[in-house]
Amino acid sequence: MTGEEILKVVGILLEYLVPTLKVFGFTLLFSIPLGLVVAMLKMCKFKPISWLTNLYILIMRGTPLMLQIIVVYYAVPYIQIANPDMFSFIDIKDENYMFGAVLVAFVLNYAAYFAEIFRGGIESIPKGQYEAAAALGMTKAQTFFRIILPQVIKRIVPASSNEVITLVKDTSLANVVAYAEITLKAKQQMQNYASLVPLFIAGVFYFAMATILTALFSFIEKKLNYYR
Amino acid sequence: MAILEVRNLSKSFDGFDVLKDISFDVEKGQVVSIIGPSGSGKSTLLRCINQFEKADGGSINICGQDMLVKNEKGKTVYAPPKVLHELRMKIGLVFQNFNLFPHMSVLRNITEAPMTVLKQDKKTAEENALRLLKKMGLENKANEYPCNLSGGQQQRVSIARALALSPEVLFFDEPTSALDPELTGEILKVIKSLAEENMTMVIVTHEMSFAHDISDRVIFMDEGYIIENGTPEEVFEHSDNERTKQFLERYHS
Amino acid sequence: MKLKKLLSALMAALCLTAFAGCSGNNAATTEAGGNNTAETDESLNKVLESNKFILGLDATFVPMGYTDENDQIVGFDIDVAQEVCDRLGVELVKQPINWDTKETDLDLGKIDCIWNGLSVSPARAEAMNLSEAYMQNDMIFTVMNDGKYTSSAQLEGKTVAVQNGSTAQEILEGSDIGKKVAVTAIATNVEALQQLELGLVDAVFLDSVVANYLITTTGKNYTILPETVGEQEEYAVGFRKKDCALRDKVQSILSEMKADGKLGEISTKWFGSDITTVK
Repeated sequence: MTGEEILKVVGILLEYLVPTLKVFGFTLLFSIPLGLVVAMLKMCKFKPISWLTNLYILIMRGTPLMLQIIVVYYAVPYIQIANPDMFSFIDIKDENYMFGAVLVAFVLNYAAYFAEIFRGGIESIPKGQYEAAAALGMTKAQTFFRIILPQVIKRIVPASSNEVITLVKDTSLANVVAYAEITLKAKQQMQNYASLVPLFIAGVFYFAMATILTALFSFIEKKLNYYR
Repeated sequence: MAILEVRNLSKSFDGFDVLKDISFDVEKGQVVSIIGPSGSGKSTLLRCINQFEKADGGSINICGQDMLVKNEKGKTVYAPPKVLHELRMKIGLVFQNFNLFPHMSVLRNITEAPMTVLKQDKKTAEENALRLLKKMGLENKANEYPCNLSGGQQQRVSIARALALSPEVLFFDEPTSALDPELTGEILKVIKSLAEENMTMVIVTHEMSFAHDISDRVIFMDEGYIIENGTPEEVFEHSDNERTKQFLERYHS
Repeated sequence: MKLKKLLSALMAALCLTAFAGCSGNNAATTEAGGNNTAETDESLNKVLESNKFILGLDATFVPMGYTDENDQIVGFDIDVAQEVCDRLGVELVKQPINWDTKETDLDLGKIDCIWNGLSVSPARAEAMNLSEAYMQNDMIFTVMNDGKYTSSAQLEGKTVAVQNGSTAQEILEGSDIGKKVAVTAIATNVEALQQLELGLVDAVFLDSVVANYLITTTGKNYTILPETVGEQEEYAVGFRKKDCALRDKVQSILSEMKADGKLGEISTKWFGSDITTVK
């Protein structure tokens, strides 16, 4: 491929960086709070809820994300056929349906991983912190959000950074339902030029994003190092 | 007036009785030390009064309000949550392991509860906190984080934190046990100065000579029972109970 | 293939009796050559009403339907489909899909047809309502048009280039003539043809459709030897089993285009001559 052709491919991939980042950003936005909720449900003292949550986490972590994307993507139209009243408000031909389905799959999957990280973080906080807060008259919610959560965040940053960097690369799995993002476009250009170079360029894009995130996380870790 | 009245308190863990028929009073301005071997139930007693453990039977009354009481049917019941919360606020608690909040500065450790629980404004809370830190000799540590303080300093911060809510009574759960011996002195000094200000205090401790010097009453517990409850002289010097004597001998030698 | 299995499992799991009923009804339509327009077949009306004809493609098949260097979906199939839509008076929507799940996308109504150099096979004829084949593809030898080689028999002992990892490579290596020539695998067909021009190889073995396209677009003096190797492949458009009205309408427009020369014009643009087989 000539330099000019490479620049053209870079231009196209830059354009499709937006849908890639859309999946990345919205997945983080929703999966982190959902993960927190799932972690709470897993630690719930009412056993059936805890078991159900365990099953959910087991399925999400035990099956490939690629299959989950396909299942979510096709579940809606299949359900619509089986029961026309359900999901009747969703138009599978709508441009946003594909993004919506991909996002739901990513959020459900990543929430399970985040939940396990959060649970580990929450359980690592000593009992004394809860008792100190209780002795000071703080409510359960105050204790959690003001005392426990800030400490949990510091402890889970390293594990979370792994997940977040994996997520950047996992966005490429969305191409399994032909969601137009970097990898799909690189594959198309690969055929157009009959060359592997577009795929390599896509790799450089992911590498750049991962590098930025790595730098960001080491900055955050440093910022949180004001206490031990 | 009695700040604390405990009557016939009992508690068991998995069928093992940890507290048996515990009754005692703490009067306003009194300093009461609870001594006894480990496993005697001292800490459990403190944790029952602080609502960290649920008692099985008996009654607890704090500042004239029932926390735990026998109802008409003879069942032991706790006061409604709102009352329990109010009662908890009347008691300050100092932990063996300090349990400071590591992510907050010394100042915020002290102002956190007054601001979130008592809804004090920031200025009032900080003025009060700085006054307490000064009293603890830590006014220059206000902006430090707990991890940069010595154990003794951390424990003094945790005393200031408990005092910031102006409790009626201050509980100490082995306040010097986690400290190096050379640091215990500074804590005992602080407690002594609080005693001089007529602060009502209940202290679970292994520091016998300290308990002897500072206490108005000393309670000796063993195997879940209160064996002795009297003045320091009565317990330390004139006890004719075998177990008390044995226990004290071990500490003197 | 794995995806297909998964999806059929999913379908079974969801107990979709609706589907079973449908395919049963439509077995008869295919038998009758697709001329049986059922009274309930609203497929054509739906397209006309929505004013949209959604064409599913994986957009990586050069030159039938692919994404060009400006990220536009183009190709022979696209030009033909555009003309069909113009004549129908509807908008052509080019919907990229995952080729592995194309049958599911078609069944679920995400797309109205699969039109991307879809080769005809018994399994596909069973799963879809196929149009008549509109083009043939053969595996052929391309040589320089200098009269040196006029038949593949003359290539014995010579060097033949083939795209590495392609079906062409498999077919050539498994054929009788493949054993009599020196096969050299090259990354792309374009590079193989460049080597042919430079005289580094004596022939290039590839798909006739691709060869015609590359000869036309490069404008180089290549020619195709008459003999073919292996089985012939045919391309058709795939519709939903029950969408007979739509399939028949598209088929009749294709015939019309063949008759008035429009199809030949498009074919000439891409392949240098009319290589379509529409009747």
